[in-house]
Amino acid sequence: MLSYIMRRIGVSIVILFGSSFLVFNLAAYASDPLAELRLSSDDGARQQIIALTRDLNLDVPPPLRYFLWLKGVLGLFVGNLNLGMTREASSVQEELAYAIPVTLRLVLVATFTALILGMAFGIISALRQYSRFDYGMTFLAFLLYSLPIFWIAVLLKEFMAIQFNNFLGDPDIPTLWMVLASTFTGVFWGALFGGERKRFWSIFAGAFATNFLLLWAIDLTDWYLNPGLGPILVGLLSGGLAIGVTSISTGVENKPARNAALSMAALAFLSYYPAQWVFNNFGSYLTIFLLIVLIVLTGITLSRIFSRIDRGPIARTAIITGILSGFLILTDRVMQSWSGYMATDAVNGRPVPTYGQRKDQLVTDDFWLNNLDIISHLVLPTLALILISLAGWIRYTRGSLLEVLNQDYIRTARAKGLNERTVVTRHAFRNMMLPLSSLFVGEVLGLISGAVITERVFGWQGMGTLGIKAINSYDLNLLMGVNLLLSILVVMGNLIADLLYSVLDPRIRLGK
Amino acid sequence: MQTNKSASGSLLKISDFNIDFWVDGVWYPAVIDMNMELAPGKVTAIVGESGAGKSTVALGLMSLLAANARMSGSVMVKDQEMLNAKPLLLRKFRGKEVAYIFQEPMTALNPLFTIGYQIVETLRNHFDMGPKEAHARALELITMVDIPDPQISIEKYPHQLSGGQRQRAMIAQALACDPGLLVADEPTTALDVTVQAEILDLMRGLKDKLNSAILLITHDMGVVADMADEIIVMKDGLTVESGTADQIFNRPRHPYTRELLAAVPKLGASKKRVLAYKESSKPAPVLKLENVTIEYPKRGRVPAFVAVKNFSLEIFPGEIVGLVGESGSGKTTVGRASIGLIPIKEGSLEIVGKDISQASQKELFGIRRHTGIVFQDPASSLNPRLPIGESIGEPIFLAKLAKGPELARMVEELLDQVELPRSYRNRYPHELSGGQRQRVGIARALALTPDLLIADEPTSALDVSVQARFLDLLQELQGKLNFACLFISHDLAVVDILAHRIAVMQDGLLVESGERDQILKSPKNDYTRRLISAVPVPDPAEQRIRREARLALKK
Amino acid sequence: MKLFGRDKDTSGEILSGGESAIANKEVEGLSQGQIVRRRFFRHRGAVIALFVLTTLIVFVISALDTKIGAVRIPGWWKWTVEDIPELRYEDCPGGTTGCPTLSLNPSGAFGLGKHPFGQDDIGRDYFALVMNGARRSLMIMFVIGAVSGFIGVVVGSIAGFYGKRVDAVLMRLVDFIQTVPGIIIAAVIGKAAGRVGPLFLALFLGLLGWTGLARLVRAQFLSLREMEFVDAARVAGASNVRITFKHILPNAIGQIIVIITLIMAGAILTETALSYLGFGVVAPDVSLGLLISQYESAFTTRPFLFWWPGFFIITIALCVNFIGDGLRDAFDPRQRRRITKKDRLRAKVDVKAGP
Repeated sequence: MLSYIMRRIGVSIVILFGSSFLVFNLAAYASDPLAELRLSSDDGARQQIIALTRDLNLDVPPPLRYFLWLKGVLGLFVGNLNLGMTREASSVQEELAYAIPVTLRLVLVATFTALILGMAFGIISALRQYSRFDYGMTFLAFLLYSLPIFWIAVLLKEFMAIQFNNFLGDPDIPTLWMVLASTFTGVFWGALFGGERKRFWSIFAGAFATNFLLLWAIDLTDWYLNPGLGPILVGLLSGGLAIGVTSISTGVENKPARNAALSMAALAFLSYYPAQWVFNNFGSYLTIFLLIVLIVLTGITLSRIFSRIDRGPIARTAIITGILSGFLILTDRVMQSWSGYMATDAVNGRPVPTYGQRKDQLVTDDFWLNNLDIISHLVLPTLALILISLAGWIRYTRGSLLEVLNQDYIRTARAKGLNERTVVTRHAFRNMMLPLSSLFVGEVLGLISGAVITERVFGWQGMGTLGIKAINSYDLNLLMGVNLLLSILVVMGNLIADLLYSVLDPRIRLGK
Repeated sequence: MQTNKSASGSLLKISDFNIDFWVDGVWYPAVIDMNMELAPGKVTAIVGESGAGKSTVALGLMSLLAANARMSGSVMVKDQEMLNAKPLLLRKFRGKEVAYIFQEPMTALNPLFTIGYQIVETLRNHFDMGPKEAHARALELITMVDIPDPQISIEKYPHQLSGGQRQRAMIAQALACDPGLLVADEPTTALDVTVQAEILDLMRGLKDKLNSAILLITHDMGVVADMADEIIVMKDGLTVESGTADQIFNRPRHPYTRELLAAVPKLGASKKRVLAYKESSKPAPVLKLENVTIEYPKRGRVPAFVAVKNFSLEIFPGEIVGLVGESGSGKTTVGRASIGLIPIKEGSLEIVGKDISQASQKELFGIRRHTGIVFQDPASSLNPRLPIGESIGEPIFLAKLAKGPELARMVEELLDQVELPRSYRNRYPHELSGGQRQRVGIARALALTPDLLIADEPTSALDVSVQARFLDLLQELQGKLNFACLFISHDLAVVDILAHRIAVMQDGLLVESGERDQILKSPKNDYTRRLISAVPVPDPAEQRIRREARLALKK
Repeated sequence: MKLFGRDKDTSGEILSGGESAIANKEVEGLSQGQIVRRRFFRHRGAVIALFVLTTLIVFVISALDTKIGAVRIPGWWKWTVEDIPELRYEDCPGGTTGCPTLSLNPSGAFGLGKHPFGQDDIGRDYFALVMNGARRSLMIMFVIGAVSGFIGVVVGSIAGFYGKRVDAVLMRLVDFIQTVPGIIIAAVIGKAAGRVGPLFLALFLGLLGWTGLARLVRAQFLSLREMEFVDAARVAGASNVRITFKHILPNAIGQIIVIITLIMAGAILTETALSYLGFGVVAPDVSLGLLISQYESAFTTRPFLFWWPGFFIITIALCVNFIGDGLRDAFDPRQRRRITKKDRLRAKVDVKAGP
C-alpha cells in the first residue's frame, strides 16, 4: 500500500514537471511579450524592452529559460520559493497567495455539492429506471451538458441577483409565482416517489399544498427580510432528519440506531438556546470545530448507551444526524445576521452581489456578518458551477449503478434474503463507487475550467482572472504560476481518486 | 437442528409453474406447466440443454428473475406460497429456507467484502446474533467446507481464493442458516473435474449431515448420475420426462431423453482404435515439439510466467492426438504455439518438416497453408462484421488461390463439406447457433486442406447433442481428408471418442502420453489416475462404484 | 418456428440460459446494420435531435452567401454581415434601439419582419450575425471532431495493436495530457491561433481533445486483439494492416462514433467559452460565444442580443448529445430495452411450443 502511494506521488511529480515544461514552451513560443512595445517608436518603449528582457530573461531561449524558472520553483525545498515577477514587477507568489483561497473556496464547495447531489439524483434515477423521475433526470442531465457555463452564469447574475435584489426592495410574491413554484415542487416530489397515478397525484397534492403554504407564510411574514428557523422548526426538522438518516444508514427497523438518532435530534433541540449563547459570545471557526468534536463524542456515547453490539453503524447514524441538526442551528444563526447585513452601508438593501468575492467596503469584526458576506458572494458562482458539473455525476452514477445492479453478486445478495436497502447501500454502492472514483479527475478538471469562466462573469479576483490577465498581457511568469497551482490541484485530485480506489478495492490494495 | 418436515411431507411443491419473458412487446414462454415435488434429504436434478429453462426455474422459485419475467402457478416451500408473496416473506425464506449456490463463484461473491463478512452477513440477517457469535459460526462453516486455514481464510477476499475454494465459500454461505432446500445452479460447471468431484462429495456429505434437500440444475449427465435421486428432463421450457435416476438412465421413455443420453460421451465406451501407422515404420511427423518451453513475457508489474516447460510431442499423419489437462495446465498454449501464434522460448518446433522455432512472420506465412485451427468460443471465433462466406474464404483469398466466382464456389464446397446450407454464405455470425458457428470454424480451418488441424476445445461451449454431431462430423472429415489433428480438451470422455493417442498435461508439464487405451485403462502416472477417476460417468450404478473407488484411492 | 434452439452462449451476459436465448429474438434475421438502425430509431430523443440538427444545419448554411473559390452561392436571407442598415427606433420599448421584429402573435403582425432577431449597436442585422456565428461554430465543431477523431483513432490503434513499450509510452502521454489543465493550454493556443483564423483555431483545439478517444480505441484493440477471430485471421495469413482495418476497426467503429459525437458536443462549448473569454474567434469574425460576450452587458436593456446566440449553442449541443446517446444505445447490445408497466399490459403472447 505504501509503495503504491509513493509510486503515485512519484508519477504526480513527473506529470507536474512535464505539464509545466509543455505550457512554458507553448506559451513562450506562441506569444511575444514585447510585440506591442516593438511597434512603438517611442524611446521609452525601447528602454522598457531592455528592462523587460533583463528582468524576465527574454534573451534566454524558452527551453532553457524554463529551467531558470524551475530553479525558482525548486527553491521551495530550501525555503526560498521564487516564482518570478509579473510584468508589473510584483511578486507572482503574492498575487497567487491572494488568489488561491478565492478559487479553492469556489471549486471545493462546488465539487462536493455537485458530487453529493449528482450521486443522489443518479442513484434514485437508476433505482427508478424508466420512471418519470428517470426521464426527467436524463433530460435535465443532457440539458445541463449542453449549457455553456458563461451563459448560465450571466442568467443567474441577471435573475438571481439583480432582479432578486429589486424584488427585496418591494417584497411581495405574486400568486402566480407561488402557484408555479408549488406546481414544480409537486411534480418533482411526485416523480421522485413515483408509483401509480393515484400515488403520484396524492404526493403531488401534498407537496403542492406544503410548498404553497410555506411560500404564503414566507410572504406574509416577510421572512426573507428577517429569516431564521427558530427552535421549533429546528426541532421538527432534526426529528425528520433523524428518521431519514436512520432509514438510509441502518434502516428504521434497527431500534438502537433509531433511538440514538432521535435522542441526538432531541439534544439538538434542547441545545438550541445554549448554542445561541455560545455562538454570540464565541463566534469562531474553532468553536464550530469544537462543537463538531462534541457531536462526534455524543454520538459515540449514545451508541454505547443504546446498544452493546454493532456500535459502529449506530454511532455513524447518530453522528450524521447530529452534524446535520447542528448545521440547521448554524444556518439559523447565520440567518439571524441577515437583517443586520442588509442594513449595512456596504450592502444597502441589495444583498445578493454580482461582482467580486467579498464586499471591500464591509468592515466589521462580527464573525457572522463576515461569513454571511462570504456565503452571499459564493452562492451564485457556486450554483453555476454545480449546475454544469451535476450532469456528469448524474449520468455516471446512474450508468455505474445500473451496471452493478446487473451483476451476479447482487443476485446473490438478494438470494441471501437481504432487504433492498442493504443490497443497494452495502453491496451495490461500494462497487458503484469504483468506476466513479476514476472519473473524479476529469470532473475536477472540468470544474476548474468552469471556475475560470465563472470568475470572469462574477468578477472574482481568483486564479482564473489571474490566468486570463496573464495570457492577455503575455505575462509568462504569472501564467506559469497559475498553471502550476491548477496542475497541483488536478494532480492532487488524481491522487485522492487513486487512493480512494485502492481503499475501496481490495484487489488493488492487496495486489492481485 | 430444525425439522424440514411440513404438513404435506414435501419441502418444495411446484405446480403449473409458468415463466414468460418479455422481449420487444411479446411474451416468450421460458418454462411451461412445470410440476414437481421435493422431499427433505433428497436430490432432484433438472437437466436439459441450454435454453431449456432449467436455470430460469431455479431463479423463479424465489422470485429472483429480472423485471421482464412474469410467473404464474404455484411454488410452495414448507406449505407457504412463494409466488407473488409479500417481499417480507420472500426475504425471510431466501437464504434461510431456500439457499442458492451459483455457477460462477468469482462473480457471485461480492469482490469487495471478505468471505467471512459475507457469511456473517447472511447469518445476522436471519438470526438475532451478535458479531462475535456470528464470526464463530462462520468460522465453523468455513471449517466444515474444508477451506484450508480457516482462521486466515475467513479474512480473505474472493480474488485471493482458488476457484474451488471460492465455490466452497459459496457453499458455506448457503449452508449458514441450515436451509431446508439448497438450490445449486450449475455448481460445478466452472470447475475442473478433480475439483468438481471434491465439491460434489462435499455437497453430498453435507446434505446427509443436515438432511437438506438439493435441487440440482445441471447440463452434465455425469454430475446427475453422481448426485440425483430424481431427475426432471427439460427441453424448450417443457418437462419432457421425470422419474427416478434409475428410470431415467436405464429405462428412458421419451425419445428426447434417449437422444440426450445417447449423445453423452461415456468414458471407456468407445471401440478399439488402431493407429494410422505401424509403430515400427513411423512416417515423418507432421508436428514435432522437442523440449519446448513457452513463456508469457513480463507485462507491466505482472512477472513473466512459464506456461509450458520442457514439452515434447510428435503427431504423425492421419492420427488424432488428444491433449488433456485442467485449466491452467498449458494445453491451449501448446496448441497456439504449434501453429505459430505464440513464440517459443526454448526447444524446437517443426511443422511438416519445417523448423519454425525462431521463424519470422514471413516464414510463418508459408507454414499457414499447411495448418488450420478451430477455436473454443463460438461467440468470438467469427468476426461479427463479416458474412460467413468471407470468413471461410479468407485463408483461400490471402493465399491467392482463388478469387471472385471461383472463391465463391470453393466456399460453397466447404459449406457442403461441413453440412451447412450454401445460402449461409451471406449470413452473419449472430444469425447462427453455436454449433453452426463451430462448423463454420471447421470449414475455415480446412479451407486450405491442411496437413495439421489444431482443435482447441471446440466443443466445450456446446450442448451435448450438438457436441455429438460436431464430433461425428470431425471424425468423418478426418477419415476423408486424412489430416493429423491435435485435439485439445479438458473432457476425457470426448478425447476418448476421437483420439488415437492421448497426452496429459499438468502445470505446464507433460505428465504422461501414450496410446489411448493404455492411458485410459492403465495409466501409470498418479495425476492421470486421479483425473480419470474424477470423471463422472452418466450411469448411476457405475458412478457409485467409481466414486467409492476414488474415495478409497484418496485414503 | 424453433423457439429455444440456440446453443450455449458464453457471451458473458448475466442472464439465465433461457433468457439470453429469448433476448436474441429481438435481432433474429437482421443484419448488423439493420440492428443498429433499428435500435437507433427506437430512441425517440435521438431521432428528434437528428431531425432538428439536420434542419438547423441546412437552415444556417443556406441563409447566407457561401463562397467556394470564386463562385458565390447566394443565401436566402436579405442581409449579410457587412450590411449596415439603418437602426430601427420605432416600437422599441424603453427607448432602446434595434429591437427584434419577429412576432409569433397570430392575430397581430405575425411574421419575421425586417430584422427578426433585431440589430446590434451599429445597426447590423442580428439574424445575419447569428447565422454567421452558428456557421463558424458548426464548422469548428466538425473540424475539432474530425481532427480529434483522427488522432484518437490513430494513437489508440497504434498503442492497442503494438502493445508493450509503444503502448506504455503512448498511454503515459495520454495520461499526461489529461492531467494538464486544458483550459490554460486551450487559452494559450486560442490566443495565438484565433488571430490567424477560426479554421486554425479548430485545428489546434482538435489537438487537445483526442485523449479520451485514444484510450477507448486502445481498450477496444486490446480486447478485440484477444478475440479468436483475430487469431483466426492471423492463422489465415492476414497482415497487420488487414487485421487492423478489416477485423478490428470495423468492430470498434460504433464506440468510436459515439465518442466522436461527445467530443463534438464538448467542442462547441469549448469554442464558445474560449471566444467568450476572448481567446477564440476574435472580431471582426463572428462566433456565437463572441456575440454573447460582446452583448453581455446589454442584457438588461436588449436581452435578445443575448438569448439568440445562446439558443443556437444549446440547440446544437443538445442535439449532438442526444444523437450520441442514441448511437450508444444502438451500438451497445447491453443497453437492452427494459420492460415498463405499460409494456406488460400491451405485450402479445407468443404461441407456446408443442412438446
